[in-house]
This record gives sequence, structure tokens and C-alpha cells, in this order.
Amino acid sequence: MRINIAHETLYRYDRPARAVVQTLRLSPRNHDGQYVTRWRIEASVDSRLDQHEDAFGNIIHVFTADGPFNELKITVEGEVDTQETNGVVRGAIERFPPSMYLRETPLTAPDQAIVGFARDVWRTAGADTLAILHLITQRLNTEFVYDTNPTQTTTTAAEALKLRRGVCQDLAHIFIAAARSLEIPARYIGGHFRRNDGVITQEAGHAWAEAFVPELGWVAFDPTNGICATEAHVRVAVGLDYLGAAPVRGSRSGGGTETLSVAVHIDQAGRQSQG
Amino acid sequence: MLSRTADSLYWMARYVERAEYLARILEATQRLTTLPVAYGGESNEWESALATAGCANAFFAEHSEANEETVTAFLAFSSSNSSSIRSCFESARTNARAVRTALTMEMWDAINGTWLELHRYGNSLSSREAFMRFLRWVQESSLRFDGSAYRTMLRNDAYWFTRLGVYIERADNTARILDVKYHLLLPSYESVGGPLDYFQWSAILRSVSALTAYHWVYRDSLKPWMVADLLILKDQMPRSLASCYQNLARYLDEIARAYGRQGPAQRQARILRTRLENSRMDEIFQGGLHEFIGDFIAANNQLGGAISTQYLA
Repeated sequence: MRINIAHETLYRYDRPARAVVQTLRLSPRNHDGQYVTRWRIEASVDSRLDQHEDAFGNIIHVFTADGPFNELKITVEGEVDTQETNGVVRGAIERFPPSMYLRETPLTAPDQAIVGFARDVWRTAGADTLAILHLITQRLNTEFVYDTNPTQTTTTAAEALKLRRGVCQDLAHIFIAAARSLEIPARYIGGHFRRNDGVITQEAGHAWAEAFVPELGWVAFDPTNGICATEAHVRVAVGLDYLGAAPVRGSRSGGGTETLSVAVHIDQAGRQSQG
Repeated sequence: MLSRTADSLYWMARYVERAEYLARILEATQRLTTLPVAYGGESNEWESALATAGCANAFFAEHSEANEETVTAFLAFSSSNSSSIRSCFESARTNARAVRTALTMEMWDAINGTWLELHRYGNSLSSREAFMRFLRWVQESSLRFDGSAYRTMLRNDAYWFTRLGVYIERADNTARILDVKYHLLLPSYESVGGPLDYFQWSAILRSVSALTAYHWVYRDSLKPWMVADLLILKDQMPRSLASCYQNLARYLDEIARAYGRQGPAQRQARILRTRLENSRMDEIFQGGLHEFIGDFIAANNQLGGAISTQYLA
């Protein structure tokens, strides 16, 4: 599937910003299931954009701009061709052994409730890793309410589990925390999802998780949609949790209060038959 | 476009590229064999030239000994060898004539001119200097052909199919050089590297016009794993495997976009491109350089086959 992506981040400052430094994790890489045919990053002000690779192999851009400016817009735009791989992620950059992804982070630290939830899944699903992961995905999908209000980017997995509601990021964090508490390596994936209900403009990127299954390798699970990743998923960044894969992190001097608005347009490009 | 037309365009470009490559390895071999015997070591460079050209078996069916005279005659002029420089230019011209109307005037002139001029050279050349001039001429002919395609062809499927031919052939050629010389590039080899190795490494780089590029990229003396890195993984290096696959993926994508349809060729090219993009030299050495190159050559042939079935047959 050819997917067009336009991801726009707009900052408005009530006083002019003097300087802005940001780390952008906005550029997808290729693996067996996806191929980037076109990709570019644009900024609305004069700036430096240096490309590097982080420890996980994500492409990062270090963005620096000297003000003053009242508004900053960063647009990434491109096209990715994806293949259905039933969630199995092969040929991706792997800089660490899977066991590294058992490491806990503050956002994904399991509390009693998460450990209990994971145990419960394990009792029902049995010892098969794949069955456990599918059941976690299914339960998160059915027992949780998708709600953008109560949680923020700093909400931990434990807090979200208590609320029983949250966004894709929270569900991914709970998934990761639960999987890791069962000794299954799991990691956070930031990316994009082409919705098949015709909604093109989304408020933010999507997030899901990958877990390591012996024999199969890394498999992507999307608890928000209750499925394994499909050809509608475009994988952009990998991390231990949201902070490691966040699309934009940075700081600035000056600028007073900022208002941030994000618009993501995801659309299928002209259909192509597979032959 | 008819499959037959696409097929001729693809093979025309492949044959020109192959002729250039043969000239390059003959030149590099000539250079190595003119070194003092003390540097020359045990190996017979003419034999390894045959192996790099992939026609050792055909050669030994006709000749018993690989030396300067027999190998240059076989690789450059023999008409019984279907991939000698002469045969390549002839096949390229035959293919070009079949699709004369799909070519620009400049391209046709370049390839037909080369073919006419080829007759001026006999079956062997009187001196080494004359032979070196001939090799230069082969490379210049390929440049002229490539340059006129680049400058005059409309960017449509006809152009893209010629590019596919160029890059499949080029990837195969670079991989073959690495395949024959891989033992010189293993990291353990460096500690025992003497003057012979220095000349061997520089010959490898020279055969793909990368000696200057090497110094620009690494700013260091010749180190075998960096030579391998340059020829396998560096996108900036136009004859590296990574660069060839960047282009193959790109032109296959152009074709897919124009035809509104894609298939195994696109998928295979992308997977290989991704592998090259996501690999690092130390990982390749760990898995075995020889195995990696062997797998690559097989995969590249497979892609050639996929392109043939999908578009050319």
C-alpha cells in the first residue's frame, strides 16, 4: 500500500522565541515490510538540520534555529510503500539484543495491578508467547476506553491501567509493561496508521508496541486497534518507551507560553495492484 | 511498451556496462602484473581476472594456460567468448538496432560508432601501450553511451529499463570483484599486510575508480575493511552495492508508478536495498564476508530473473 504522510507541527509563541533546539524523530527507515520512496523535512524558519542516528538506529534530526520568531512550523512529508507482513518485522535495524528490551523505564514500570493483569493473561493464555501477546492486545482493546482527555504524555502505564482509559501511547505502555513483567522483551513504536474509515486528518501520530517472539522475531501489536500491525502501519521510531521514540523533543529560550498544534494527514496514494 | 522493446533496452545497457567492466579489470590486472616479481606473490593475476569476469570455465575449455596473451585475447577480442568486450559491443549494437526508434540519435550514434570503430582493432594488439589505449577507448565508449542516454533520453519507461540494465550489471560486477578478492579484505589479514596487499587493495579500488574517493571518504591509508565498507555500504560511492540498489529500487519504483502496478521485482529490490542500508561492516564480517557476497550475487541474479519475468518476457 502506498501511503502519503504529511505531519505538521506548529508552535506559536506569545513572545518571540530567541532560540530553539529540537531532536526530531520523524523519518521512517526501511525494513522488509516498508519502503520509503520519498521523504523530506521542511522548517518555516532559517535553521540547521543535522541528520544522525540514535542508539536504536532511528534517524534523528537535530534542529537548531536562532530567533526571534513568533511561529515555527516543521513539516515532514513523504510517501511510504508498505507490504502486509502480518505484524512480523524483519530486516529492520537491530542495534541491541532482544533482552535489552526487558529494561524497565519510569513510564513503563509495572505496579501490582499490571503484574496482576499480566499474570491473569498468562493463566488464561498458557505458556505460548504469541498467545499471551495476542490476549494482552485483545484485552487492552476491549477493556479500555479510548479517551484523549485524562492522560498526557507523562502518564505512566500504571496510572493509565488504573483509569482504564487513555490513548494509543498509554495502551502501548501497558502492553510493554505487562509483556516485560512476563520476561517477554517489548518495545515502543511511534509511527503512523492509515485509518480505513476514511478519516484522513489525525490529531497526532500513532503508537503501538513490538514484542520478541522466539522463532518469529519481533512482532508488532497494536492494542488500540486490537490487531497486529498491518500494511496500514508505518513504523517511524523505536524506543524503550514514549520518551525514546517521541517525534519531537527539545527546548527553547524566550518565547513565553507556547501553543502547539499537530496535524497529521495520512492518505493512501493512487492504488496499485500487486502482481 | 512491448516486452521485446524493454528487453532490448535492458540488455543493450547491460552489455555496454559489462564491456566497460571487462576493460576495467583488464587494466587493473595489467597494472598488477607489471609490478616487480617480488611484489607479485604466488597468485596468477590473469587467472583471477578470468574468475572476476566469471568465464574461467569457458576459458579453460579452449586454453590450457592463463597468461597475458591468452587472457587478453579471450576477454577482449574472442568471438567465441560471448562476454568478451567485442561480443558485448556486438550484442549491445544488435539490441540497439532492434529498438532503434526507442533511442535518441545521440545514443544510436554512440553505440553504432563504437561498433564501427571496433573493426579497426584486430584480434590482438601489437603492444601493451596499444592495448592500454584500447581499454581506455572501451571505457570512453561506455561513457559516451551512458552520457548520451543521461542527456538526451526522455524520462520514461525506455530510460528506466536501460538504467535497470546498467545497475543490475554494475552490482554484479562490483560483487564479483569482491568475491574474487574477498580474502584480501578480511580484518585478520591486515596485520600481515605487506606491500603486495597495498597494491592489491589499490587495484581493487582502481578497478571501480574509487582510489581517490577512498581518500576523500576515510582520509586514511588503505585498510581492508574500509575498502569493503566503501564498495558495499557507501551510498555516495557510485559503484557500491548500496548505491546500485538505491538506483534499482528507485527506477523500479518509477516503473511501478507509471504502470500503476508492482510485483516481485520491486519487493526484492527494496528488501535488498534495506539489507544494505541497515547493515554494518562489523556485522557483515561476523556473518562472513564471503557468504555475504555469495548471497548477494545470488540475490542480484534473482532480481535480474524477476525483472525478466515481470517485464521482459
